Order: sequence, then C-alpha cells, then structure tokens
Amino acid sequence: MNASTEAVTPAPSRPWLQPIWLGRAVALAAGVLLVVYPMVSDDIYYQNMIILSLIFAVGASGLNIISGFAGYISLGQGAFLGLGGYTIGVLAVRFPDASPWLWVPLGGVVAAGVALILGFVSLRSSGPAFVIITVAFLFLVQVIAVNWVSLTNGTTGLTLPLPTWDRDIMNWPFYYVLVAILALQLLMTWWIRRTKLGMGLIAIREDETKAATIGINLPVQKIVAFMASALFVGMAGAVYGYYLTFIDPRGMFSILISVQLILSMLIGGKATLWGPVIGAFLVEWLNEMANNDWGGGNTRLFLFGGLLVVVVIFLPKGIIPAIESVLSWRRTKGKAGLVGARIGTGGSLASITDRVQLVDRSEIPDRALLEVRDLKRHFGGVKAVDGASFTVPEGSITGLIGPNGSGKTTLFNLIDDTIRAESGEILLDGRRIDGLRSWQRAHLGLGRTFQITRLFREMTVLENVVAVQRRFSIAQLGRIAVSGAEAKAAEELLEFVGMRAFRDQQARALSYGQQKLVELAQILMLDPKLILLDEPAGGINPVLIERMGEMIRELNSYGKTFLIVEHNMPFVLGLCDPIHVLARGRTMASGTPEEIQRDPAVIDAYLGDDFVLEEKVAP
Amino acid sequence: MTELLQNLLLGLLLGGVYALAASGLTLIFGVMRVINIAHGAYLILASFITYWLWDSFGIDPLLAIVITTPIVFALGWVTYKVVVSPIRTAPMASTVLLTFGLALVVEGAMGEIWGNNSTAIRPSYADESFIMGGLFLPKAQVYGGLIAVVVLVLLWGVLTKTWLGRAIRAAATNPSSAELVGIKVSAVAALVFALGIAAAGAGGAITGVLYPFVPGSHYQWIARLLAIVVLGGLGSLNGAVLGAIMFGLAETLTSAYVSPSWATAVPYAIVFLVLLIRPQGLLGTRLREDAVAA
Repeated sequence: MNASTEAVTPAPSRPWLQPIWLGRAVALAAGVLLVVYPMVSDDIYYQNMIILSLIFAVGASGLNIISGFAGYISLGQGAFLGLGGYTIGVLAVRFPDASPWLWVPLGGVVAAGVALILGFVSLRSSGPAFVIITVAFLFLVQVIAVNWVSLTNGTTGLTLPLPTWDRDIMNWPFYYVLVAILALQLLMTWWIRRTKLGMGLIAIREDETKAATIGINLPVQKIVAFMASALFVGMAGAVYGYYLTFIDPRGMFSILISVQLILSMLIGGKATLWGPVIGAFLVEWLNEMANNDWGGGNTRLFLFGGLLVVVVIFLPKGIIPAIESVLSWRRTKGKAGLVGARIGTGGSLASITDRVQLVDRSEIPDRALLEVRDLKRHFGGVKAVDGASFTVPEGSITGLIGPNGSGKTTLFNLIDDTIRAESGEILLDGRRIDGLRSWQRAHLGLGRTFQITRLFREMTVLENVVAVQRRFSIAQLGRIAVSGAEAKAAEELLEFVGMRAFRDQQARALSYGQQKLVELAQILMLDPKLILLDEPAGGINPVLIERMGEMIRELNSYGKTFLIVEHNMPFVLGLCDPIHVLARGRTMASGTPEEIQRDPAVIDAYLGDDFVLEEKVAP
Repeated sequence: MTELLQNLLLGLLLGGVYALAASGLTLIFGVMRVINIAHGAYLILASFITYWLWDSFGIDPLLAIVITTPIVFALGWVTYKVVVSPIRTAPMASTVLLTFGLALVVEGAMGEIWGNNSTAIRPSYADESFIMGGLFLPKAQVYGGLIAVVVLVLLWGVLTKTWLGRAIRAAATNPSSAELVGIKVSAVAALVFALGIAAAGAGGAITGVLYPFVPGSHYQWIARLLAIVVLGGLGSLNGAVLGAIMFGLAETLTSAYVSPSWATAVPYAIVFLVLLIRPQGLLGTRLREDAVAA
C-alpha cells in the first residue's frame, strides 16, 4: 500500500491511551461499582433506582438489536417486559409452592415466542407502517390482558407472593439476577455485532432490497433478530414483576415504558453496545426526579415527550456516537483524509485463496448460463419490460445496450428479483429461478451491481464485503464475520480491486468510483457464476474505466460470465460479445459487435447516424 | 328493522365526523410524508378548548367551531414551524417518534391545565332527540354529523377548486418541480400541516359534545384515525372518507349488537390486519419502486 495511507494511521505509541481502551476501562470501573454498590450502601432509594435502570437497560439493549441494528423502530418493546411480568405473575399465583424464580427463564421464552409473531409482521411492513403496527400490537396485548380475566384477573391485576428471604438483603437477589441478565444481554449484543447475523441486520437497516441481492435471507434474519431482542427482556420483565409483586395491564403494558426504552436507546446511541445502557440509567434517573421532585404524572409526560422531540431533532445519533465523532475529529484534525488517497493499483486474481474459484476455460460447456424468455413487467401504462428474450452464453461477456428508458435496469431488477416479473421465465444454469427470492438467486450464483451504487453507507468497506452470505444455514449466521477467514477473503478481494487501504473507511465517505470498486469486490464475495454489472464505466474517470475493463477480462479468463449494461460504446464494443440491443422493453437485435454496429435498426433506435461516421473517420 | 335503520343512520353520521377528523391526518401524510401521531392529541385539545368556551362564556359548543378551528389552526402552524420543519427530510420513522413525543407533551399540557378527570360538554340539547317514524336520532349527533359534512365539503372545495389546492397537490406529487414552477413548498407544507390540524380541531369540537374525554383519550383517537386512514389508503382523501364511513358503521353496529368490552380492540386489529394484508389500503396506490431517486 502506498505511503499516504500510512501517514493517516500511524502506529499508536501508547495503545493504552487509545479511546477504545479508555472506554473499556470506564466500562470495567462502572461494572465493578455496580456489583459492589449494594454491599457498601443500603440506601433503598438508590437501590430501587438502579434495579429499575437495570430492567430498562436490558429492555433498551434488546430493542437495540431490532431497532439499532436492523432499523425496525418499535414502540412495542415494553410489551415484552409486560409479557415476562405476566408469565411470572400467572404462574406464581397458580403454583404458590414453587419458587417464583423458576418462572424467570420461562418469561423469556414466552416473550421470544410472541416476538416471533411480531417478526412475521416485519416481513410485510417496514418504516412508519411498522412503527404504527408495534403500537397497535402493544395496545392489543393490553386489551387482551384486560379481557382475558380467567388468566390475568383483568384490570384488578395479580398479586405475587412476597419474597421470603432475609429482610437485610431485601433487594440483593433482584439486583444481582438483573446484573446477570444484563451481562448476558450485552454479551449477546456484542457477539451479534461481530457475526454474519449482525452484519446482515445492519445491511437490512441500510438497504433491505440490496441486502437480499447479496444473499441475506431476510425473513430468517429478521425473525431471529426479533426473538433475540425479546428473550432476555422477557426475563428482566419477569424479575420486574416479582420485584413489584403487583401486576396489572395498565402498569405492565403502558406505552410510556416503551417510550422510555426507545428514549434510552436513542439518547445513549443506537447500534452501539453501551449506548442503551447509559441511556437507560440517565432516563430512569430523570424519570425518578420527575416522579418525586417535579410533580409526577403530567411532568413525566412533558419530560418524555419533550425529550423525544429534542433528541430526534438535535441528537439523532445519541451520546456515544457523538463522543466518538468528536474524538475522531480531534484525532484527524489537520491531516489529509484517506478518501482522497490514490486507489491501489490492484492485485491479481492468482493471489486469491478463498473466493473466485479458477475454472479452466476449455472446460466451459457451450451452452446458455442465463436464459430469459418472454419476460414482462408493466408499471401501470408503462411497459418497462415487454417480452424480452435473450441468452447469456457461459463464459461470455455479454453486453446489453439500448436507449434510456428501454428497460435495461428494470430487466436487471427482474433477473435478480429486486422487482418480481409478471410473466416469463428466467433460467440460470438450466434451472428455473423466476419463482425464487433474491437471496436464493444469489446463492445459486447470481451477483449484481447497481447503476447508482448501493453500498451500505454506515458500514465500513470491509463490513460491506463481509456482509455477503454465499449460502444459507442457521449455523453460518453465528460465524464471526469481522475477523478470521471471512475477513481475510474480503481483504483479498479488496486488494484485487485496489481498495484494501480503505477497509476501515465508512462507505458513505468514498467517492463514486471507489464505491463502484467496493461493490464489485462485494459481489465477488458471493463467488457468483454470473455477474450483472449495471453501467460499470458510468461516471468514473478514464483510467478507472480501463482498470474496470481489465478486471472484467481477468475475471472472465477465470471463468466468470458477465452481463453488462453500459452506454460507453467503445467500452462495450471492445469488451462484449455477443451484444443484445433492447428497445421498448424487447430485444430488437443480437449479434457480434460488428453486426450490431452495422444493423440499420440499431443505428436508427440507439447509436445514431453519426456514430458510424466517427468510426470511419478515426483510422 | 327500525332499530337497524337507526343504527345505520347513526353510523353514517358518526362516519362523517370521523372522516373530518381523519382527513387532516391523510392530508398531512399525502403532502409531507409525515404520519402525525399527535393528531389525536390536537383533537382532544380542541375538545378542551370547546369545553372552556362553553363552560366559561356559555358559547354553544357546536357553534364554537368557528372560534376553535382558527385557534387550533394557529397552533398547528406554530407546531410545524418550531418542531416539524427541522426534520422534514429525516426518515419517516423519526417523524413518527417526534410527533409521538409531541402528543405526550400536549397530553401533559392538557392534564396541567384542565386536570385528568373525565370532562363532558353538555349543551341544552344533549339529551334531546329527533323522533321520526319510530327513529330516535340524538340531536347532538345529527347536528355534529351535518356540520362535519359541511366542513369536509369546504375542505374538499379548497383542495380541488382553488389555486392553493393545486399548489398543495403539486407539492405533494413532486416538491422540487413544484418549487421550479414558483410554489414555495415550505410555505405550502406549513399551511397543509396547519390545515390538517385545524380539520382535527373541527372534528374535536364535535366529538367533545358526543363523548366525554380525558387528556389520555388521544391514544384511542389516534388509533381510530390511523385505522381509518390506513384502511382507506394513507394519503388518499377519498379513501379516508370511505374508511371513516365504514369504520363509523362498524363501530355503531358492534357496540349495538356485539359486546362492547372487546370493541376497544377493533381499531388496533384493523391497523394490524390492513397493514399486513393490503398495506396500500383500499384506495391507496403503490408507487413504482425502482424509479431512481438520486
């Protein structure tokens, strides 16, 4: 790598003074303080406040998995605390002889089970519709708790047996069980953030359709995430119920609890490990102040409502990300940014050990790898794709050209299921894929880049590449993605496209041309048989266009088949054979570059009369 | 038979009131892509203002609409300028959170000013009914329903027959193009938000006479209104009217013929199911998804 890169990230001389280690030291100190506090102080007021903070910290941290990582904002998270509370309440009343602690894990299971339902809901709705559904879900659960009197005792509520242990250590069991649950919750969050699952969730947050095209199985990912976001929260809810010893629908399913959880997450910083915890302690402290010192009821509404408004407007990222950005600003102040650095010269495919398997070109059979038959998709009166049929021979670099609006990008969208075709057949490797979802097509060997690059903006370059899932199994969701074999494979591919030096940069900071290169490395991670490139040479400089052509040729020599949409005619004519011409959603001509250039219909529809003239003048 | 006819008529009248209250919500969404969760809170606020005018000055609550609506319109305009406009371009989920926060603040303010006890506006005709051929139609419901229809027709006239209406629709369809042809989109947005809130205010003045209320009633109202606009298709005014009439009928018939204790669950269940089965609602349309927005 070149010198300018190294100048930006000098080896730290005192690693212990780096922010990450300072952060860890603070976390450790806070953890120790938390554990010893009840032993050194018997102030019930503060013990109560910490117990409630711990409950809300678990709730907010769970919420963080679906809302912070996966981006599905939920105002129904409080329901899972309530469900845990009701589980212990109902069972403790039914079985007065058993210790209520037995039901705490069951509270988690019940919450996770109900979260499964909410997970299914998230498959059909997103954004604001999902927020509304979660509110409706919370109220629906509340209405059920009110009306199912035989189970829940309705609005009268349930009273749990009082704790039987020594009064001197009254709160200790609650306190330490909650510390343990919070520790488990944080461990899970930390682990998810480093796995394929976590990468997939963040990818879903950033761009769900794109995530599907790189092999991320959306339904499974989301459902797993929803269950994970509720499991420990249900347990904390059970402890909460036992701690309160009284449960009623109004208190357990109050929308204000959900608001408190979402506030905690937003204030601390979503998608961070410690943010929701810090937020929970802060908001609970304010909550207690409002209740005890500032007049209660309406003040709490002012506080929560006002905070929500203020945080959304002024602190959308939260405390921890705000601190991080100040630190990184101070660290890099006066230094040249890496983004302006030169793109690497690129590596050779020969050095790649994991992905991009070598195929002997002489063994490539003479057949169509992709076959599209009579594909149709209309948008109202617009016949974007209207009976397109063509084939992509295995081992070829096939071009797809046509005037703007002729349906090229829509055709790509139909092939990778970004949009579902109305009719027609798509065959990959002789197998019908038109009924399959995007990620299934990706697993069968289809990779696709977008005309306007669609990297996951808030993820680093490396994370963008390791987010790819080449095949699907529950076990591989748990694989560590950010280091080890996956990261090594990703780095090799980044080296190949010349972007390795940028591995820790956020994708949104890259220039357009750099993004194109990263997107190429990203889909190579799928090790696809067929690569669809949508305008690979569009909007980038001539040197990079040349490099792009070289890479396509090299990959092709390793047996990769390409289908390329491009307006840069010299690029297409020099690279592609055969070429298909699309007009009004149909293939109007196919042939070698020479044939296409001479075809009068193509000249009339797309190239224009002067195109041929220029070619004649040139030599 | 008479009973059924009576319930159908009452359902239709109630539907008219719901349509008025929901029209603002759908209008604001249509133009600004903001789902205003505070809509129910402004509706209850209008009920409280009406109560105050009636209680302190003896103004007839239904006639007080001409005072209440401008007050709420002004509040809507201020709200837009102060809290909504800074985040107009933020993701929709943020605006949902923001307006939810706003709803809580308004709820708290109402609790501070008027207390959290159940409040009812009872004009002299509260217990009187029109009796026609065996039909008992409470006067308040008849007046309220008719006024709602009149206000709704006025609103519809403004949106379809005036330059302002065309500007609003242009801004809704394509903000940047509207800007290019000389429409000040930010001013239009402020106006639409205020107009939408004012419609909720007019609705709240009427519902305050029909039902008793507390500051916390706004949750119930936003659930109802969301159910209506989601049913009709978010952003569609005609859809909101259709959804409101269906909802008004369903609610009247349910409380008359089925147990009312589960009736509170109806709006939530509708929201849940509609968003799952037909997210675009009855009259909503789906946009072309692949159009490049860069």
